[in-house]
Amino acid sequence: MDEITYLIYIISFVLGSVLGLLLSYKKYNQPFVTKKIDPVALIISIAGWFLVVNSALLFFLPSFVSITLGLFLAALVLGMRPGYGRYETVIGILISAVVWLAPALL
Amino acid sequence: MNLMANILLNVLIAFLIGSLLYGLQRKVMARIQTRPGPPIIQHLLHTLKFFIKESSFPYTAAMPFYIAIASMLCAIWVSAVIVGPVIEGSLLLFFGIYALQKIVEHNAGSSSGSPYGKLSCVRAVFSAAAEVPLFAVLVIIYLQTQTMVISDIINYQAVNGPLIFTIPLAALMFFVLILSKSPDSPFAITKGKDIVSGYETEHFGVLRGYLMISESIAWYMLLWVFLTVFIGPLGILGYLVGMVAISVLIAFINATTPLLNPNHSIMVQITFAFIGIVGSLVLMMVM
Repeated sequence: MDEITYLIYIISFVLGSVLGLLLSYKKYNQPFVTKKIDPVALIISIAGWFLVVNSALLFFLPSFVSITLGLFLAALVLGMRPGYGRYETVIGILISAVVWLAPALL
Repeated sequence: MNLMANILLNVLIAFLIGSLLYGLQRKVMARIQTRPGPPIIQHLLHTLKFFIKESSFPYTAAMPFYIAIASMLCAIWVSAVIVGPVIEGSLLLFFGIYALQKIVEHNAGSSSGSPYGKLSCVRAVFSAAAEVPLFAVLVIIYLQTQTMVISDIINYQAVNGPLIFTIPLAALMFFVLILSKSPDSPFAITKGKDIVSGYETEHFGVLRGYLMISESIAWYMLLWVFLTVFIGPLGILGYLVGMVAISVLIAFINATTPLLNPNHSIMVQITFAFIGIVGSLVLMMVM
């Protein structure tokens, strides 16, 4: 049963990456040269990594659902065309990690 | 769970994770070389792409061997998944599968009739001569644990701790074996850029797709065996973290090391094998 869950996680990640790649090529016409942070991608990334890392905090949602959804969103940004989504992903991971560590630090 | 469903599930996981790890490796290598690099998903997309491409067959190909060999490569790595994660069988069977894989590499090169394939075929024999001694690691594991069965080795480690601490040189030998299977490694002489794509050069369309699926499963399986045999009982998350860590480490090595010429590659691998075998035996006698 565990393996089925992990397979669904992997498929969710793969689908998110493929969709992210396709959408990013439509959205960004130029190669990654301006190095600006896209606010939409940033929100998606933070939401995605938060759902993956802090699924235990969301008591109203089964962890299986939140991780699947989170991986999809995180992959959406991580899988964007080369260069794009890099800063957004790092910020997303950092914020999720801080939230995850917060109870232990406080 | 039904055995067939279990096999299918594990093969799918092996293929997807193996492909993503290859993609990750290319990404890390690119970043080290200050390039943006392809998306992590690239290797998987590249594999799937071949299934919708036209399959053409070279005039010089040795039929039907040329077609059968690509399917065989796929079949032997699916067998590896059955021997490994599904039934946790004998390591000897895994050794047999790896040896068969070297034969298939050799024959895939020779059956196409391409000069690059033929060069790769000769190099496959060279590299087998260097990689097979690395499998002496199995003897060392047997001497340490008195068993060849993967499930028993896992149980042994649950009681006595990970084998990587008791036979580290054997772990190093196996690591070199894994490194040699990485596409851009210093030991990847069968697929060196100097011979285009080596034994895969003249395989197009579906056949190339089969070869790439096999490579992804092979990568997953080699990492799985390493983690299982040297680190011990791990959960799925533990395997994922371990596989990512080893893939990133190998990407660092690949990005900073040139492809060795065949003679040097063989000599380096045999040196590792010699140090590993003698050193492990000495360590086992001393400790």
